[in-house]
Amino acid sequence: MKNPFEAFHQTAGRRREIPLDKILKSKEETLTKILKGYEDLLKNEAKDLVWLMQYSTVIKAYSIAEKGIEGIEYTAEDIEEFCYALDRSDQIPYLITGPAGVYISALCNYAKEEEITLHLRDLNVKINLLGYRLPPNKKLIVEGNVGDFTGIGLDGGELIIEGSGKNYTGAGMKRGKIIVRHNLGFNTGHGMTGGEIVVGGRIKGLGKIVGGKVFERDHLIFPNEGVKPFYF
Amino acid sequence: MENGHYQERIRGIYGYISENLYLNRPDIEIKGEKFNSALLFGLLTGLNGGKELIVGEPGLGKTTSAEYVGSILYRYPLGVIWGSEVSGHPEQTEEKIIGRPHLGELNKGREVVVWTNFAQIPVKIVDEINRLPETKQSMILNGVDRGNWEYLNEILINDEYCLFATANYQDRGTNTIIAPLIDRFDILVESRHPGPNIAFTIGKEAKLNHPLRHPQYEKELHQILRGNKSYEEKMAMAEEICDLFGKYMKENLGLEGLNKEERREIKEEMLNIDFDLDANAFVRMILAELSFCHKYGQKRSVEVCEEGCHYTGYLCHHIKNCASNRLPISIRNYSQALAWFLEDDEVDLEHVRMVIPYTLAHRIQWRDSYISKKEGEGRNDPFQIYLAKEATEETFQRYNEQREYLVEALSLACRAFVGEEITPLDGDHPIYEEIKKDIGAKDEKSF
Repeated sequence: MKNPFEAFHQTAGRRREIPLDKILKSKEETLTKILKGYEDLLKNEAKDLVWLMQYSTVIKAYSIAEKGIEGIEYTAEDIEEFCYALDRSDQIPYLITGPAGVYISALCNYAKEEEITLHLRDLNVKINLLGYRLPPNKKLIVEGNVGDFTGIGLDGGELIIEGSGKNYTGAGMKRGKIIVRHNLGFNTGHGMTGGEIVVGGRIKGLGKIVGGKVFERDHLIFPNEGVKPFYF
Repeated sequence: MENGHYQERIRGIYGYISENLYLNRPDIEIKGEKFNSALLFGLLTGLNGGKELIVGEPGLGKTTSAEYVGSILYRYPLGVIWGSEVSGHPEQTEEKIIGRPHLGELNKGREVVVWTNFAQIPVKIVDEINRLPETKQSMILNGVDRGNWEYLNEILINDEYCLFATANYQDRGTNTIIAPLIDRFDILVESRHPGPNIAFTIGKEAKLNHPLRHPQYEKELHQILRGNKSYEEKMAMAEEICDLFGKYMKENLGLEGLNKEERREIKEEMLNIDFDLDANAFVRMILAELSFCHKYGQKRSVEVCEEGCHYTGYLCHHIKNCASNRLPISIRNYSQALAWFLEDDEVDLEHVRMVIPYTLAHRIQWRDSYISKKEGEGRNDPFQIYLAKEATEETFQRYNEQREYLVEALSLACRAFVGEEITPLDGDHPIYEEIKKDIGAKDEKSF
């Protein structure tokens, strides 16, 4: 009798590939490349698991991050995936929020999309330095709370935080706009020379501001009669 | 696929009929394209030499859709199709359906059969088949099944034919179609109401002369079919007139039908389309559910399986009868025809999922408990087709859940079948039990 199972000869273990498998595979490959860039940054900049937040270290970290992401094809979704990967200890050997923020900022600044939304409400850690050097024509929307030094050195882009930020938000920003739905911490706008910071909630304290505008609950609080520009 | 020009022609025919003759809404979708099921399956029936039962309310185009498809595909003028139709009614006789004695010859003491047009031409339409009394339905069993028509001591064998039968929903004048006859139909479709807006436009452009009529060719074809020549000779002569009518259609309507050789080529192309692994395994899975009985070895309409059986969740528990061997043939033929029409290289899951409900709808006898559970549910299709679609999707879900495992089981079965010592896979589905029976790992219960 003819074998009624002949069509299944040597098919054991052959898995069906559906379009979703291909997408997931390519996503995984991209994330691996992004993670590799981040690990290189840590190897260079945080050998002893310590990273000192200084003007020069941020600039250096950013240039290493730029090199690390060179040639990687990624989307805003991949950046978000990377943020969550940072949150999972099984994927990232160690998380240092400073270099991580610089690295994410570099990813956002070089992303193809002009508008990037990162849904980070479920993130356990608060990432520092998000929006660093955000260039003109870029809009970064972060859903959730962020850490210190958010939007520092902002360079013409628009940064929207759908949550609260911590200290030194907008420090050293040159131009552009930072909108924060809820509250900000101390030293907001420290050393900023231009642009706007608009806060929907409360600001605990302003830093030494050189130029630009700061609004708190629709009121212009800098410059005004009580707070004059600071000259370094 | 090669020879895409045939598909283009068929799409042209579909387009012409749906835009000019049989106005209706699309009601099925496959691979992003929408079609009207009655028309699409009608064309596939004509192409693969199938048998289609069309149900629906009176006056909703059951017969006319079949007439148009048959006339254009086989290039017979509409008048010949009309003259060859058999209508179902209680007084119908074998002489009107199949053939009668040649009275002149009979007077001379010779038995010569005058075959009806219905028995001779390849497009066969039985109108209102369920008005034929059950006792008379048996007369057409063999003809419907194999194209063999017997009368007196003569036999006429159609080398190619397709059959369309229409049936009204039950009323006082209708009878049940007997089980052996209904099983011989490959497919059941409904000719639906087109909706008030399309219905309003029907007949608006009524023409005095139907575009598919051609009185001269009709007369010539009738003369050929009535003549004394042998069946083969008559068919060859008829094909010549069909060629002329084909030219007429091409020139006047821009439609290209198919000659006999082209129809044969298309059938060959269809037969060469293989099933991919998924389609193959899925069809096996659904056949297992429709034929398996844990207690009695297989489904039998006279044996009712009990409550509390392990396989209560499967189709075998909801049905009374067993799937016949004609079911997989219908699934195969129509899936291949659909894949051919869509110019796909293989029959895949989408093709079989589309075809299976229409091949099952008329064949399954559901248990009363299942019918009462489902009959109140909202739906768009007639109840039979709705239940068959639900059953197919339910089985498809099960297939998706255990696809890898099932393929593995079938693959191991392949090796076990040729003698390798392999333990077959166990699984929670009748198909695993059937595999064991096939490779001899499970003894059939002895009497």
